[in-house]
Amino acid sequence: MWLTPAEWQIVRFTLAVCALSTLLILPFGLAVAWPLARYRWPGKLLLETLVTLPLVLPPVATGLLLLKFFSRRGGVGQFLHERFGIDVVFTWRAVVAAAAVMSFPLLVRSARVGFQSVNQRLEHIARTLGASNPRVFFTITVPLASRGIIAGILLAFARAVGEFGATIVVAGNIPRRTTTLSLEIFETVQLGHDASAYRLLIVSVIIAFGAVWLSEALMKRSVSR
Amino acid sequence: MFRFPGTIFIFAATLLLRTANGAEVNVYAAASLTDVLKEIAANYEKQSSDKIVFNFGASNLLARQITERAPADVFFSADEAKMDDLQKAGLIVSETRRDLLSNSLVIVVPNDSKLAIASPDDLLTKTQKIAIADPRAVPAGIYTKEYLSGLGLWDKLESKMVPTENVRAALAAVESGNVDAGFIYKTDANISKKVKIAFTVSVEKGPAIMYPIAMLKEAKNKNAAEGFLRYVESDSARTLFERYGFIAKF
Amino acid sequence: MKLEIRRLSLRLEQFTLKIDVDLQRERTGIFGPSGAGKTSLLESIAGLRTPQTAMISLDGRLYENTAQNYSLPVRLRKIGYVPQDESLFPHLSVRRNLLYGIDGNAKHDTFSFDHVLSFLEIGPLLDRDVRSLSRGENQRIVIARALLSAPRLLLLDEPLTALDAKLKNAILEQLRSLHNEFGIPMMYVTHDPAEAIKICEEVLMLESGKITARGHPGQLLG
Repeated sequence: MWLTPAEWQIVRFTLAVCALSTLLILPFGLAVAWPLARYRWPGKLLLETLVTLPLVLPPVATGLLLLKFFSRRGGVGQFLHERFGIDVVFTWRAVVAAAAVMSFPLLVRSARVGFQSVNQRLEHIARTLGASNPRVFFTITVPLASRGIIAGILLAFARAVGEFGATIVVAGNIPRRTTTLSLEIFETVQLGHDASAYRLLIVSVIIAFGAVWLSEALMKRSVSR
Repeated sequence: MFRFPGTIFIFAATLLLRTANGAEVNVYAAASLTDVLKEIAANYEKQSSDKIVFNFGASNLLARQITERAPADVFFSADEAKMDDLQKAGLIVSETRRDLLSNSLVIVVPNDSKLAIASPDDLLTKTQKIAIADPRAVPAGIYTKEYLSGLGLWDKLESKMVPTENVRAALAAVESGNVDAGFIYKTDANISKKVKIAFTVSVEKGPAIMYPIAMLKEAKNKNAAEGFLRYVESDSARTLFERYGFIAKF
Repeated sequence: MKLEIRRLSLRLEQFTLKIDVDLQRERTGIFGPSGAGKTSLLESIAGLRTPQTAMISLDGRLYENTAQNYSLPVRLRKIGYVPQDESLFPHLSVRRNLLYGIDGNAKHDTFSFDHVLSFLEIGPLLDRDVRSLSRGENQRIVIARALLSAPRLLLLDEPLTALDAKLKNAILEQLRSLHNEFGIPMMYVTHDPAEAIKICEEVLMLESGKITARGHPGQLLG
C-alpha cells in the first residue's frame, strides 16, 4: 500500500472527525446564515463580526479560547467532567470542536449567499398555497439555496481537514488519539521523516483540491443560472 | 548637507564603541533550566559587560535549530543524545563539552487532586490522562519512557499519555487540571505552586539523566561565550543549581 | 363572496394607497395604468404586504385588523395568487408544483386533480421541466396550482401579458367559466379594457392609489 497502516489510520481519523464536525455545524450554520441573509436588526453587525472572527483570529488564539472553555477547571469542561465523566481537552472531541469552530464562518458565508439568491416571491407563493414557515424553508428556500449551502459544506470540510493551530492547543498531538493529517505532517517534518511528510502532503492536496474545485464549480453554476 | 564619508565614519565608530562595551551571548538551553539560568545570568551580568540572551525549549527542537544554523553560541542540553548529534555533525567545540548537571524525575498531580498516587503502578488504575514531554524526541519524555519500560509499565500506560512539546508544557498541563498526573523533573515541580509531587523516582532506580553544555564552533563571540561558560561552572553557580534542586556534577 | 376592505392605507413610493370598499361580485376587475397600486392592493389582500392601517375581512372571516394588531398568517388565508411574473418553483416538476397546494390539505378541501387538469388543458405537461414551458403553458399551470389549493378567493395580477391574442382569448374563456366550473370568486387586475370587459362583472378604476370609479366594465371602459 502506498501509505503505511499508521498513516491510513490518521487519514481515516481526520476524514471522520471532519465529517462529524461539518455535520454538527450544519444546522447552526444555516440557522445563523438565514437571518443574516434576510433580516436587519440593531446588533446585526456584532453577529457578523463574531461569526467571522475565527477566520481572522490567530488559530492558536482560538485554540486558547477553546482550551479555557473546555477546561476541567471552570466552564463547560468542568460540568462535563463532573456530571458525565466526559473530557474534551486532549481527546478527539477537542479535535471536532476546533475543526467546527474554525470552519463555521466558511459555511455561514456561503450559505448566506445561497439564501440571498433565493427569490422571496417564490416563498410568498408557497405560503399562499398553505405552506407553514418550516415547510417553506425546507421545501422551497433550502433547495433553491442548495448550491450555496453545499459549496459552504465543502469549504468547511476542507478547512476542517487543514486545521492545525487550534487543534494542537486544545487537543494536543496524541498518537492514535488526536493526531490529524496536519498534526502528523508537522511531526514528521519536525522529526525529519521527509518521505512520510510528502506522502501525507499529497493526501492533503488531493482532499483540499477536490473540495475547493467542487465548491467553486457549484458557485459558478448558481451565479450563471 | 552632511559630509557623507564623515557621517559614515562616525556611525561606524559608534557601532564599534557599542559592541566594545559588551557582547551578546546566545544561549540555547533546555526548558527545565529556564528559571535557574535566568537567575545565574542576572548575577553574571552584574559583573560582566556581556549580555546573555536565552532561547529555552525542548532540547531536540533547539538541536534542530542549531543544525539549521540558528545563531547560537552555547548549547545546554537535557540529554547526551542531542549533544552527540551536534558533535557528530561537527558543530560544537569538543574541548568545551562538559557534563554539568543531573536531575530526577517525579510524578506530579494538580494541587487540588484527590488521587492517591504513591507509585507508578497507581497510575494504571487511578488515572486517565498523564502528561509527558513527547517521548519520541524530548529528553524528559525519553527518560520517562526508559524508566517506565524498565518497570514493564510503559506498554500499559501508553494509551493514557498526552505528549507535550517540552517538559514545561507537561507541567502546565498538570497545572491546568486537564490531565490527572504528569512526569516532569523535580526541579520543575519545585518552581511550581500549582502541583504537588506524588512520587519521586530515586536516582539509583531511575534513568541516568545528564545535562551537558558546550560552545558552538560558529559562536560569534567566543571570548564572551567562554566567559559565561566559566561562570556557569563556578561555585556561586553551583550553589544556585543545587538550590533549585539540580544535582551538580562538577 | 363578500370582501370588506376598510380604511386601508399603504404608503407606496409615489403616493399612498387608500382603499375603502365592499365587494360582492364573483368576478371583480381592478383596472388602471401601471403604477396605480393594483399589485400592492392584491398583495395586501393576500397578506404578502401589511398596510399601515387596514381592516380586511372575507366572507365574515377577519383577515387583517391593524387597530388590534391582528394579521391572519398568509398560509391560513386560502387566497390563491397568480402573480404577473414567473412563479413556478423551478426546482420542482410541473406535477410537484401542482401538488404543492394539495400536500398537507385535507382531502375534502381540494378539487379533483383530473378535473382541474382537463379544464385548463395541461394534462400533457405534467412531466415537463418547468423551464421548458412557454409563457402560455406556464400561466395555465400557475392558475391550476392556485386552484388546486381550493382557495376562497383567486387573485390574478395581469396573468395574460405577453401572450398572443389567440392564446389570450382561449385562456380568457377558461377564466370566465372558472367560476361556473369551480365556484371560486376572483379578482382580476388588468390594464387591458378588452380583458376586463370579457371577464368581469364589476370593475374598480384605480388611479394613483385611489378608486376613482366603479361600475360595469362595458359602461366604464367601452
